[in-house]
Amino acid sequence: MKRFRPGGVGWFIFRRLLLGIVVLILVSVLVFLATQALPGDPARAILGRTATPASLAALRRQLHLDQPVISQYWTWVTGLLHGNLGRSLAAQEPVSTLIGPRLVNSAVLVALAAVVSIPLSIAIGSWAAFRREKVFDVASSNLLLVLAALPEFVVGVLLVILLATTVSHVLPSISLVPPGSHPWDNWSALVLPTLTLVIAVAPYVARIMRASMIEVLESDYVEMARLKGLPERTVLVRHALPNALGPVFQVIALNLAYLAGGIIIVESVFQYTGIGLAIQESVVNHDLPVIQALTMLIAAVYVALNLLADVATIMVTPRLRTRL
Amino acid sequence: MTDVSRRQVLVGAAGLAAVGGLTAACGSSSSSPGTAAASGPAGAPKRGGNFRLGVTGGGSKDIMDGQNIITKPDQARLVSAFETLLLFNENYQLTNNGLAESVTQDSPTQYTIRLRPGIEFQNGKTMTADDVIYSFQRIGTKANGLTGYAATATMDIAGMKKLDQNTVRLPLKSPDSTIPQTLGSYTFCVVPTGYQAYPHPQIGTGAYKLKSFTPGQQSVHERNPNYWRSGEPYFDTVTIIDFSDSTAQVNGLLGGQIDAMTDLPPSQVKVVQARGMAALISKTGGWLPICMAIDLPPFNDVRVRQAMRLLVDRPQMLLQVASGYGFVGNDLYAPFDPGYLAPPAVPQRHQDIAQAKSLLKAAGHTNFSVDLHTTNGAAGMVETATVFANQASAAGVKINVINDPNYYGNQYLKLPFSVDFWGTRAYLNQVQQGSLPNAPYNECHWPPKSGTGSNFGSLYNQALAETDPTKRIAIEHEMQRIEYDIGGYIIPFFGGLIDAYSSRVKGFKPSKGTLNLDSFGHGYRTIWFG
Repeated sequence: MKRFRPGGVGWFIFRRLLLGIVVLILVSVLVFLATQALPGDPARAILGRTATPASLAALRRQLHLDQPVISQYWTWVTGLLHGNLGRSLAAQEPVSTLIGPRLVNSAVLVALAAVVSIPLSIAIGSWAAFRREKVFDVASSNLLLVLAALPEFVVGVLLVILLATTVSHVLPSISLVPPGSHPWDNWSALVLPTLTLVIAVAPYVARIMRASMIEVLESDYVEMARLKGLPERTVLVRHALPNALGPVFQVIALNLAYLAGGIIIVESVFQYTGIGLAIQESVVNHDLPVIQALTMLIAAVYVALNLLADVATIMVTPRLRTRL
Repeated sequence: MTDVSRRQVLVGAAGLAAVGGLTAACGSSSSSPGTAAASGPAGAPKRGGNFRLGVTGGGSKDIMDGQNIITKPDQARLVSAFETLLLFNENYQLTNNGLAESVTQDSPTQYTIRLRPGIEFQNGKTMTADDVIYSFQRIGTKANGLTGYAATATMDIAGMKKLDQNTVRLPLKSPDSTIPQTLGSYTFCVVPTGYQAYPHPQIGTGAYKLKSFTPGQQSVHERNPNYWRSGEPYFDTVTIIDFSDSTAQVNGLLGGQIDAMTDLPPSQVKVVQARGMAALISKTGGWLPICMAIDLPPFNDVRVRQAMRLLVDRPQMLLQVASGYGFVGNDLYAPFDPGYLAPPAVPQRHQDIAQAKSLLKAAGHTNFSVDLHTTNGAAGMVETATVFANQASAAGVKINVINDPNYYGNQYLKLPFSVDFWGTRAYLNQVQQGSLPNAPYNECHWPPKSGTGSNFGSLYNQALAETDPTKRIAIEHEMQRIEYDIGGYIIPFFGGLIDAYSSRVKGFKPSKGTLNLDSFGHGYRTIWFG
């Protein structure tokens, strides 16, 4: 095991941040090259069939599409560093104004899904491990397996059929967020998208939690705690749970990062005005600045969540901390 | 920073969970989705309500312009606030029910437009001849890049003259009998002098005034209290909402979040009807031609073109591509034009594999194979190509379908073999758009430069100059005979528009026009909540 200069967790976070920045730079190059390689001409995609050669040429000039790729990249990256995400080709307004409100909407959705799914899946996983091979464990494991196998759009459509259109009408079938309003203004519209995301994420976390918990419950120190005569509740909450959470943080982080991208489908099913719909539309329109900005954003979320997960894992695992 | 304890991290996580729980719990009253059922009798129109329309095909490039559109929601917005001089009715016949009392042809090269007096714009200004002249100038200025520009080729816009407050003289550079059709098309709406596109104020003569507009999301329109047609319109507000996907649209309609939607997938017609909603099935003149460029090999041989036309099983194509919603075509366009050359004047073409094979053989092709370009543009373009490829295989002909996302890129109009889309037009207007050397979208490179059919352009000019309808139709028939015999279009069928609406909305009628939902309920003024 390598030893670095002293500094403990702070030093560790600093190193991970640096690494994260390197990753983001690499991602920016990849994103830029990938969007450059997309087939099709953005000017043509924007103007459609009615484009004339003159209007195409004018638009290309306006969008700097006539300049070399390297200088386009440089303009873009320096813009990013100054917080300038560029202008949307389709909307003809700054990308930040376009995606700002949508970002809030998507963040609300992901945060809601996280705060519902994380405690829920930890509870289900722990309880299943505690009651291993009893009715709850068998039932929940099988149900979670089935749910994990269903893609989000199937879950979403099933929920709509059950709760919004065919079987009952208790919830809105689509979750429009009119411009100028907030998602929480109409909370009932948030229920179905959140539920869909929870069902998409919770099974994985719960299963890992169960496995991790089983391992911990079989460990010597838990047996020791039991032999000491501690109440089972204390054993579970004070001794087993914190140790079982370590590996689960990684899975939670991965799943949250997945949510940041996975909302594309859910937003499309529910017509929820977030960055997922924006990505979808910008790809159709060849709206490169929007695609690039959103991809960078999602990459940054991945990096940040992984960093958080690593830090959290170390926090709850003293053994790892000593090896920093 | 180094001394963050694991306890603190755990407490922090629990705190987060608590806040989350609070967020999820706050607000407990649910706005229950309106169950749009129980349709009463139509009865007299009633006033009030917010009409919510879901439209696909839009995005952040949405615009609002009284004389231009980019996306389908733009069409939905345009008709809310702007109106034309003449008006197509639901049978695609021109009427004098628009802003003009009359449009008369004084001579082959001169029209006089007489405005209905006393019509006010939404800001209270009275519409006059000056506004009409400004409207034409705006369309006729090439730099403005408006869709209607091509149709101004014959107009002498600089020579337009105001005869009095309500009368305008429109001289032509060359004879053009299609002027009335042009004046009825939605890209020729009247805008007030000095008008500019959104974000400038959107002031028209229409039934609804723009209240707010967020491209890619929605626009809200409120009732114009000074509207010139008495009694109309009925809704207090109209909200036009962009949808990215028809599944969400159907769900929104079934769940009661929207009152009407455009472009219902044919497979969903029965689903929607079973749930007490209505499907509006309009047999429009929209068409998806398979285009053969008559000057490019292998289609520069008329026998190959005829063989391709004989490979198509038209009824099957209609069934497979449009679920049977439409009617069979005969390789000629503009079926609602009084001059349309319908069977039996020319025989209806049927699939004839043996004849097609022998034509190909005569043309020297034994293993005929060709690329057919298409794209996910208008609904059915890809399906038309694949169904055709399948039908052609019966004759041993190999059609390679190329679904090109960049179809409308640099190769468009240069391809030998491609699928395109068109809406309803009168015959001569369509020729001007797609079948003349200078037409903007001439996929087939029609007409022939020499030999049979090379007189097509001069026939067109004769037809434009002909003021006697009977004689004009005779010329149009001659033109269509040429296209039927040696043209480059395969027109398997004329499709329709299928839209859906909640049964609480009254007043929709099936329409032959180009725009969805009975031209969006004639600009949201002939529909109401029952």
